[in-house]
Amino acid sequence: MNLIVKIAWRNIMRHRGKSLIIGAILFVGAFIMTMGNGVMSGMDAGLNRTVVNSFTGDIVLVSDKQENDNVFVEFMGKAVAPIYNYVDIKKALDSLPYVERALPEGKNMAMVLNEEGGAPGNANLLGVDIGRYRKMFPGSVTVVEGRMLEPGDQGALVPVYAQKEFEAYTNIWFMPESTVLDSARLPKEVKPDYAALIPKTNAVLMGFNEDNSTTDIRLGIKGIIKYRALNSLWGQFVVIDIESYRRCLGYFAASDKVDVPASEQKLFSLADENLDAMFTQDSLMTSARGAHTVRAAAAKPAAIRTAAPPRVDVDAGAYNLVCVLLKKGQSAPDCIGKLNKLSKERKLGFRAVSWKKAMGAVGSMATIIKGALFVFVMFLFFVAIIIIVNTLSMAAIERTTEIGMMRAVGAKKGFISVMFLAETAMLAFVFGGAGIVAGIIGVNVFAVFNITSTNDMIQLLFGGDTFHPLLTAADIMVSIGQLAIVTLIAVIYPTRVARSITPLDAVTRD
Amino acid sequence: MNIIETRGLKKNYALGTTTVHALRGIDLAIEKGDFLSIVGPSGSGKTTLLNIIGCIDFATEGSVRVGDLEITSLSDRQITDIRLHKIGFIFQTFNLIPVLNALENVEFPLLLMKDHSRVDVKKKSEQLLDAVGLADYMKHKPAELSGGQRQRVAIARALVTNPDIILADEPTANLDSVTGASILDSMREMNKREHTTFIFSTHDANVLKYASHVIKIKDGLITKE
Ligand SMILES: Nc1ncnc2c1ncn2[C@@H]1O[C@H](COP(=O)(O)OP(=O)(O)OP(=O)(O)O)[C@@H](O)[C@H]1O
Ligand SMILES: [Mg+2]
Repeated sequence: MNLIVKIAWRNIMRHRGKSLIIGAILFVGAFIMTMGNGVMSGMDAGLNRTVVNSFTGDIVLVSDKQENDNVFVEFMGKAVAPIYNYVDIKKALDSLPYVERALPEGKNMAMVLNEEGGAPGNANLLGVDIGRYRKMFPGSVTVVEGRMLEPGDQGALVPVYAQKEFEAYTNIWFMPESTVLDSARLPKEVKPDYAALIPKTNAVLMGFNEDNSTTDIRLGIKGIIKYRALNSLWGQFVVIDIESYRRCLGYFAASDKVDVPASEQKLFSLADENLDAMFTQDSLMTSARGAHTVRAAAAKPAAIRTAAPPRVDVDAGAYNLVCVLLKKGQSAPDCIGKLNKLSKERKLGFRAVSWKKAMGAVGSMATIIKGALFVFVMFLFFVAIIIIVNTLSMAAIERTTEIGMMRAVGAKKGFISVMFLAETAMLAFVFGGAGIVAGIIGVNVFAVFNITSTNDMIQLLFGGDTFHPLLTAADIMVSIGQLAIVTLIAVIYPTRVARSITPLDAVTRD
Repeated sequence: MNIIETRGLKKNYALGTTTVHALRGIDLAIEKGDFLSIVGPSGSGKTTLLNIIGCIDFATEGSVRVGDLEITSLSDRQITDIRLHKIGFIFQTFNLIPVLNALENVEFPLLLMKDHSRVDVKKKSEQLLDAVGLADYMKHKPAELSGGQRQRVAIARALVTNPDIILADEPTANLDSVTGASILDSMREMNKREHTTFIFSTHDANVLKYASHVIKIKDGLITKE
């Protein structure tokens, strides 16, 4: 072994030119491979941070009546089917060892009516129990202006992105309640429109009910928010409290189910009589257009609330989906399988889909970008292998007399193979190793530069708005493994060439 | 017992549409401890014969026995083992491994055998280099040695494994007469001391006086023993 290492090392030094060519290929290959791994890993971590842990969870449960898995970013799509039995689903989820936590959400499109008579806008509504939402996705939204929605509040949180979009299309400028328009605090791009701005501290949202009717609700705006990243994507989601959401969508609300004590029963009749009077209150709801019906049932509990707030199990009402975060280290595909089995067995009526599927085109885009990166790295692999094979084969042929002589003196084919392998392995170790180290340094340098982008596609590649390539110990092991595979594949053919050299080849050559 | 026997040895080379009959039926019996010279004009088949006896080429027809092994029936692995343990080869040119120095070149086959201690390997190799007069050149790479010195390193390497047979194809052809003579002297000495069988080819009449037997070969046939 010692002998082989010695011969291999001296051959490397003797044929410096060739060694440098192979070394350079191995260096560049290992460098780019490591960087690629870093980008992919950073993208994964970024998507985990900005998507999985901020918005979707690892797995999304949808109603098994929901046609399309893509429930989040299907802008033109149909309504998302409701889930009525979250109480049962929750019970099941609570007992699962692989589930970290879960959040039920209402999610559907609604029109944002323009009371000034212009064209209406639209928004994605995210109806949540705000207390749970903040526990599920801590830090995913920050308040830019106004305040956070608090448990028990009825109101909306409008993202900066949506705020600007509405302004651009309708001149309506949404502001938190109890704030006044202040030109000094307007964003640069909105300032020129100052004179034309129509300030609004509440929004009239028109939801499309399942029976093809619509319901309008007026909601006070509590705050203007910003998402952690991917603001042009998440920025279209207006967060509102779940009970308002249910009314807007014409769903059976949780409070509809309240058992009203006999002593309070009489309030119902009172509510019925005062229905019209209640519609004048703008804090709760309004029928902005006479054509739209408002379910009387929805009004009743509101009347009760004014009298004595009942204890409501919010989960008794309808949702559209359940975001599920898995415990660390759980495989999402496995858990999806288990959840779907569970749903079938216990007739829970849901279907589990991966966050990527729930994100539709955006999710597949993430997969495609990753796939493209992978293909690129594979291509590099391929080119590197071809060049190394070529150079090594030439080296083998050039050393015919030397190798044939070794064979004549009694070296077996195995000795020649190991000699070749040792030579390439040493080059791979030194140059490939240096490439991996350079890749690690490169990844960390890039991470320090805090390269940012506002482009959605690039943000997906970055996994957020900042480029944060990342290498874990496992990624480095992967790079080392890839380098070893390249080396092994590249050495097969030249080794065969070298092994086929006979002692006679050495003798008959002049 | 004869250490080498060939029977009806033929070797044909296909050259385009014609066939070259390099050997046309060689029957040979070589005794152990012989110092045999094969002579003949250029193209007579000397190299071809040595290569076949030395297990680095194969006959088209006929049989070769080395020691008690019929080599035509052996695998590449077994034949390599014969080359390593039983035969020492000295080529006319291209003798040494360029990246190893003189001492390491001599050590090479011994290390391949894997049955000597590191110390033994070194000691044995140094002794042999000393015996061929290269004590001062052990650390020299082949490129830093003269043709005659290289040839002597090759002889030391051929001897180091204590082979039964040493084959040398025109060992002195590229050397001046003085160097050639000194090399033949060292070979003869080894032959006397170790009873190693030497077979060498030459077309130099001066070399013949060293041989204990001479075989004359012409057009692939033995003309005189
Ligand atoms: N690889 C080969 N292909 C075709 N013909 C060959 C080959 N090797 C040798 N020959 C032919 O075989 C014959 C014998 O060649 P060989 O090399 O054995 O001669 P030789 O006696 O060693 O000659 P020299 O004294 O010049 O070295 C020659 O006619 C030669 O042309
Ligand atoms: Mg010859």
